[in-house]
Order: sequence, then C-alpha cells, then structure tokens
Amino acid sequence: MSTDIRAISDIDLWFSITQFYSREARYLDDLEFDKWVGLLAEDLRYWMPIVSNRIGRGIGSELTERGHLAHFEDDYVSMSNRVKRLATGRAWAETPPGRTNHMVSNVEIVGKENKMVQVTSKFLIYRSHMETDQEVFSGTRKDVLREDADTTWKVADRTIVLDHAVLMQKSLGIFF
Amino acid sequence: MLDKGVHPHFDHLIDLTKGEINRKIFSDPEIYQTELKQIFARCWLFLGHTSQLPNENDFFTAYMGEDPVIVTRHSDGKIGAFLNMCRHRGNRVCRADSGNQRMFTCPFHGWTFANNGNLKTVPGFKQCYHEELDMESHGLVPVAKIDNYKGMIFATFDAKAPSLEDFLGDMAWYLDMMLDRREGGIEVLPGTHKWRIKCNWKFPVDNFIGDSYHGPVSHGSAWESGFEGMPRRKKGYGYEGFQINAGNGHGFGARWAENEEQVYEMALPEFLDYEHDRFPETHSRLGDLRGMHLSPMHGSIFPNFSMLWQSGNIRVWHPRGVSETEGWSWCFVDKKAAPDHRDMVRIHDLQRHGTSGTWEQDDVDNWVQSTKSSKGYVGRQFAQNLSMGVAHEIEDPKTIHPDMRGRVAGFQNEINQRQLYAQWAKMMNGDTPDVPGATV
Repeated sequence: MSTDIRAISDIDLWFSITQFYSREARYLDDLEFDKWVGLLAEDLRYWMPIVSNRIGRGIGSELTERGHLAHFEDDYVSMSNRVKRLATGRAWAETPPGRTNHMVSNVEIVGKENKMVQVTSKFLIYRSHMETDQEVFSGTRKDVLREDADTTWKVADRTIVLDHAVLMQKSLGIFF
Repeated sequence: MLDKGVHPHFDHLIDLTKGEINRKIFSDPEIYQTELKQIFARCWLFLGHTSQLPNENDFFTAYMGEDPVIVTRHSDGKIGAFLNMCRHRGNRVCRADSGNQRMFTCPFHGWTFANNGNLKTVPGFKQCYHEELDMESHGLVPVAKIDNYKGMIFATFDAKAPSLEDFLGDMAWYLDMMLDRREGGIEVLPGTHKWRIKCNWKFPVDNFIGDSYHGPVSHGSAWESGFEGMPRRKKGYGYEGFQINAGNGHGFGARWAENEEQVYEMALPEFLDYEHDRFPETHSRLGDLRGMHLSPMHGSIFPNFSMLWQSGNIRVWHPRGVSETEGWSWCFVDKKAAPDHRDMVRIHDLQRHGTSGTWEQDDVDNWVQSTKSSKGYVGRQFAQNLSMGVAHEIEDPKTIHPDMRGRVAGFQNEINQRQLYAQWAKMMNGDTPDVPGATV
C-alpha cells in the first residue's frame, strides 16, 4: 500500500476500506475479539451518543452531545477491558456467546487527508442468543481510519448512531 | 367511577418469617393488572429532576406505570405533570421526549392544550360543537399530587396518597447523602438510557434494594477486567456494612467506614482527590453517621426507583406487561463538581451501568432468567427464596450509632427484599386509588 493515500485511486481506496470492514465484521462474528482490538488505534475514541425524539424547534438536536450521557464513551483501554471481560468465562450475558452477523454497507469516503480517511457506513447487525432471543441493531458509523502498515487501517475515531430511541435489545453487549 | 372491585388478599403469597415468595407474582397477568391499579396508580413515582427543566416552558415526557405523562415547567415557573392523552380520542398530544413548548397540539383533530394542562382551542368549537363542549373540564388530566424532594420530582395519581414527605419517611433523611452532601445538591446530565428487558419489573427493584450477595459472582468478570465498582471492598462476602430498611418498602445497602481514613480507602484511585475535596463539606452538613460512617452503594425507593449512589446513577423500572420492563437510567453529579470530575463520573457510570454497562449486562440476564423460571406450572410450586438472615436483624440499631433510623441488618441479609415484598402485599391489599375527575 502506498504511504500517500492521495495517490491511490478512489476505487482502490474504496476497495481497501470495504475489505477492511468485512474483515473487522468477520472478527466480531467469529468471536475473535483480540484480533478485533488489534484493528483499533491506541488513541481510539469510541462513542455512541443517545438518540431521542424531538419535534419543532428541537429537530436537529436528537443526539446527546460530548459531555452528556452516551451509550458508549470508550477508549482503547476500556474497549480492551470489555474484550478481556468476555474472555473470563464469567461474562454471563455472553455465556454462551450470542451469534451475530455484522452487515456493513453504503460505505462512502467523505474525506481524506495525509494518512487518514473519513468514512461513513451503515450497519445492520442480527444477534441470536440462547434459545429464542433475537435482536436487530441498525444504524450509522462515522469513522476516521488511519493507514497502518500491519493491518492496512486502524480505527482512530468511531461515532455510532443507533436508530433506536428505546433499545429493544436487552443490552449493548456486542461491538459495533 | 373507577373499578372498585374487591381484591383478593395477597398476604399468603409473601411469607416473611420463612422468607419465601410465591413465584406467581412474577408471572400472573391478572396480578400485573392489579399492580397497575394498586401500586402504580397509588404510589408516588419518580418523574425526573428539576435540573432537567431549567427554563420556562421546558418539558420532558415520562411514564407512570404504563401511562405516558408530560412533565412541564409553566411560564409561571411551576412544575406540573399531565397524562399525555388528548381528552378527545386519547392520542398523545406530545410525541417528543423533551423540548421547549408552550402548547401541545393533538395530531388527530387539533385540540390544543397549554403546558399547564388547560384546553385552549378546539377546531370547529362553534361550527361543529355548537359551543357546547365544556373546555374547562377537558384539559389534560393532571396528576393528583406532584412535589419534589431536594430536586427529585415525584407524582401520584391518587388523591388519597400521603404527602411525599410521609411517603419517603426516613428514606428522605438517608437520601440527603446523595442530594445534600454538597451545597447546591445534584444535577442530572442530559441523556437517558432507555431499554427493554424481558423481565418482571420487580426483579431489578429487588436486586437494587438489597442484593449485595450477587456481586462477587455476577460481576466478577467486570471487576477483574478493569471495571471496578465503588466503594471498593474486600473480596468475598465478609466485608463490613449494613442493609438499612427505611420503611414503606424503601431501603439501601451501605458500607461502613470507621473513620475518615477508611472513607478514602474505599474511594477509587481516580476519585480520591475529589473525595478529599468534598469530605469536609459533607461531614459538616450531614454529621458522623451520614457524612462519614455510611458509604451507600445500592438502593430502591418503592415501587420502581433505584440508585447506585456513588456511581452517579439513578433509574426507573417502567412496567411493560408482566414479563417486560423498560429501564430508564440517568447519570447525576454534584452540582459543585468540576468538569474533569464530571467526565470521570459519567464514564465510570456508563461503562458499568445502563445499556452497555459491563455490570448491567450480567444483571439483566439474571432478571430475564428469573422471569422465565416463573412461567412453568411446576416451577411455580416452589418458592422464591429470600430467607437470608431472616432471624438476624440487629435488635437495636441505635447500638450501631445513636442516629441510626429504620430496621438494620448485616450487609449480607435479605431484609430489604423481604420488606419490599411486604410493602407490595400491603399496597395490593389496600384501598383502591382515587383518581380525581375520572369519568368512567
């Protein structure tokens, strides 16, 4: 891979990112969480604000802001710890683990600068747990990816917006 | 008139001497319907905090049982709560979760209500209604009583309910450890976790009011992986502390600090500076027992409010049918806390509690499993066991400290759960609610 992403054609760049996202999704679905953490930058910001219903003058302020409560407000250490928890064998909500399929689509490169790209994408995640529990998560990711010699990309900044105002899922025990 | 049917007696479902609960109360749809009437239409229910309505005409929506309500600050500054239900066809007049509005217009036919509940305009009042509709009696249905304790807004639909002060009783005095430990009290951060759990609403209330026993097993994975809770404690079951039952079904569990040094020993390293900063003020405001000895951890206010005092977390468990609950969870901080401490509390809270909480996830799974076990006929023939320490209450709590109030037991004792269900039976057996102005 070239060290100057500006030199890569858009189609090659797009291909590289969609391949990265497919690999990331596969790690999560195959419960290879250590490999997944390997795709996160050490200065990671991982944030999922809360969406609520607004009307009238409130339209446009549906999401909580920085400094407000969020579903996730994590960094590399806390995400690594969340993964460590799953490996203890006593993270009961994931024992046995749920079966997920992370589908990532509508991948759009919205900016590039030096070794960074800004990418928006949509996700649809299906989770089946225990006997009959079924959960669907849908939403948008806004990423800043940083070029990386080992893993092609690393996630440096991820904002996740779930569509659900009241989550119909019993918890957010999976990763996005 | 409301349905004033004779209620079956519920005492036989709760055996306080054995500490046994009939599992039927977690799975019977008829019992659930009676709860909506006898508990959720009668008790004071938590709606939110005054810091969520800082300005005139601010509002947020909430629930009282399964009934949706709008909580408003009128232009005269007064806080009110009303059924979010048009008096015409019953549609919701407010579809937002929060905002700032003087008026609420029903999307169906356009009846428009002011934020003090008054019906202001009805399209076709003259042409269609011949000016015969009584506007005055068709305002939004107000709660029977609304009040706040140090910013915590509660309301009830029962005109016969005692005052909020009497309802909270000694719990208000203990709540000061959260609400009044620093000048200015607390504020609730914007943002509410809302999520559905396939469990009966009583399981989480029971868990929060007194189950300090589940921690090492249920939360061992989180504790070991860097998500320590606070106050920090020794491993195992033997640590010092008490379960305190404040009466009326309210209670909490607290660790015990012998002296100021032990207060700091219990603090998480990242909170240590703040604990040093706030301790002298708390101690002088609240005295030895509430300002030093007691480090409260978990608690519930009957029927469906719970808190994790030092994690900065409060929540409500809204019933959604006999086997489903909607959790609403908020983060609070001392109003006086500096921005860096607020950040630490918020992050501490959300990484442990609420939707993605590393503690909460495993709790939720427990409540779902307990609910499932209440469904089978044979399983229901075997009691839910709350017998821990049934004969081991502390006879005279004043021997622990002269200021101690309520009934007290050791930290590992199911006294608070037993008293929760005792209050449940009392409310279920009791008088029916008197909803003012009810027309059927």
